[in-house]
Amino acid sequence: MKEPETLSSNAGSNRRSFVFLGSGAAIGLVLAGYALFTARGTSTLIVPPEDVALVNQQPISRSDYVQQLQTLFGVDLQHATADQRRKVLDDMIREELFVQRGKELDVASTDPDVRGAMVGAVELEIAADAISAQPSEQQLEDYFAAHRDHYASEGVMTVRDLIFDPADSATAARAAAALKSAAPTPLLLAQWHARSSTAVGDEEFYFAAKIHLGERLFDVAKGLADATPSTPITAADGIHVLYMVGNHRPVPFDFAAARDRVMNDYRNDSIGHLRAGDEAFLRKRANVLIADDLH
Amino acid sequence: MLNKTLSTAVAGVCICVAGAFLLQRHRLEGQLLRADAATVPTKPALMSYAWRRGRSIFASHCAACHGTDGQGDSTRGIPDLRDGDWLYGTGAISDIEQVVNYGIRSYHRKAWNLAIMPAYGTAHPSARDSKIPPLSPGNIRDLVAFLRYQQGRDSVHGEVTDSAAIARGAALFAGAGGCYDCHGPDGKGDPAIGAPDLTDQITLYGDGSPEALTQSISYGRAGVCPAWITRLGPAGVREVAVYVYSLSHGAPR
Repeated sequence: MKEPETLSSNAGSNRRSFVFLGSGAAIGLVLAGYALFTARGTSTLIVPPEDVALVNQQPISRSDYVQQLQTLFGVDLQHATADQRRKVLDDMIREELFVQRGKELDVASTDPDVRGAMVGAVELEIAADAISAQPSEQQLEDYFAAHRDHYASEGVMTVRDLIFDPADSATAARAAAALKSAAPTPLLLAQWHARSSTAVGDEEFYFAAKIHLGERLFDVAKGLADATPSTPITAADGIHVLYMVGNHRPVPFDFAAARDRVMNDYRNDSIGHLRAGDEAFLRKRANVLIADDLH
Repeated sequence: MLNKTLSTAVAGVCICVAGAFLLQRHRLEGQLLRADAATVPTKPALMSYAWRRGRSIFASHCAACHGTDGQGDSTRGIPDLRDGDWLYGTGAISDIEQVVNYGIRSYHRKAWNLAIMPAYGTAHPSARDSKIPPLSPGNIRDLVAFLRYQQGRDSVHGEVTDSAAIARGAALFAGAGGCYDCHGPDGKGDPAIGAPDLTDQITLYGDGSPEALTQSISYGRAGVCPAWITRLGPAGVREVAVYVYSLSHGAPR
């Protein structure tokens, strides 16, 4: 009595196995077919949803297309007319065809503009990689600590530059002594036969004062305290006595105040390192032969 | 026998459900990409799909700078994405998508990088334009007075605190300072280049205090957002753009 039951059970099991096998094969085929015709870069029959066209398998991106519509006609996809859509698409297909033809003709080897654009594009690509990497706060703080002297406010000064007759050093010395207890007034200047330089006198940043005074006088001025004169300084145009009205020296920034600039400097340094690294790699793998006469 | 039939049936149902789920996801992703970005919020199923996926992308890629809720950080010049005030474009999904795709000063060729706030308190305010002159500390103080007056910050019971400084600042803004060139003659900014509106009380950097404004004018600003196009792919970019849009327009129900 048992035997027929076993036979029937085996037959059922075999049937199930075939069904599973068949189902597995069918699912595998469907997945393989789907992947073959839709995966990025292998699509042959279907335009992927993120693109508006494939030109010799090169995609024209939908977002570029929408952007171009906006740039050319100031409309979004929804409000563009059929003519506008066609015009933009035709233009983009034409551009893609010409770019592909340009590659075939290897225009980069002859056209300096294309070469320049390619060099620029590769440099930008490297920089974009550096920008994508977000440094941690600790990295930024370490960078700040290592370059602390770069981060300070610009100093501000208000200085008077009194110019005396080059032959009258005694008056200049007398004036410098008097200015220790009194600010220069037009009356005093008249008594001393001195003139006040118009290049300075207003409140200005250190960099501007340096330009207006010249390096030598600026170096003296930045060391002066408020309401103090310098000693006489002999120059080609006369004897100068500087009188410091107010001197706010550069104040070092703390990390919070400098963070923005630290971040920029950190990124610029990263870009520099990446570019140098990429160039070293390209040189290392390249086969460069140099003519004998240039060695 | 019954158990085997049941387990076969369960396995079959699971496969069917998984297949249906994948197909539905593929269908929605295709619809999302093909749809005009502006119409996505009007399609609840699409909006909900994009929002859920966008939220997860935002958490993993954007929240580190923009904050988990998109609240930003004004001490670092990171905008509040919830306030409906847009520096670049109008806040439409396609505009947000553009920023996510190509970034801001990201070194991508298509990035937003036309405007950089010059550092007027330095010897060379702009690396790009050597004709932009530095300003004096007094000029910067006058500009700050003018800006704070424009923003309604510097008046006591309607009385202006330093009208002479404000007048000098206004003249600088419209003249030698060259501020009008980016921020517009009325100071309302230009979203086509990312120049902020200086007449409202929304400040990208700092709290609008004289110190914060002085810092911006003296040392310049140039915030950065990376280009995500190669890392998120078109679908990811659109999904996160939809999520960012929802931060100021409300999440889908």
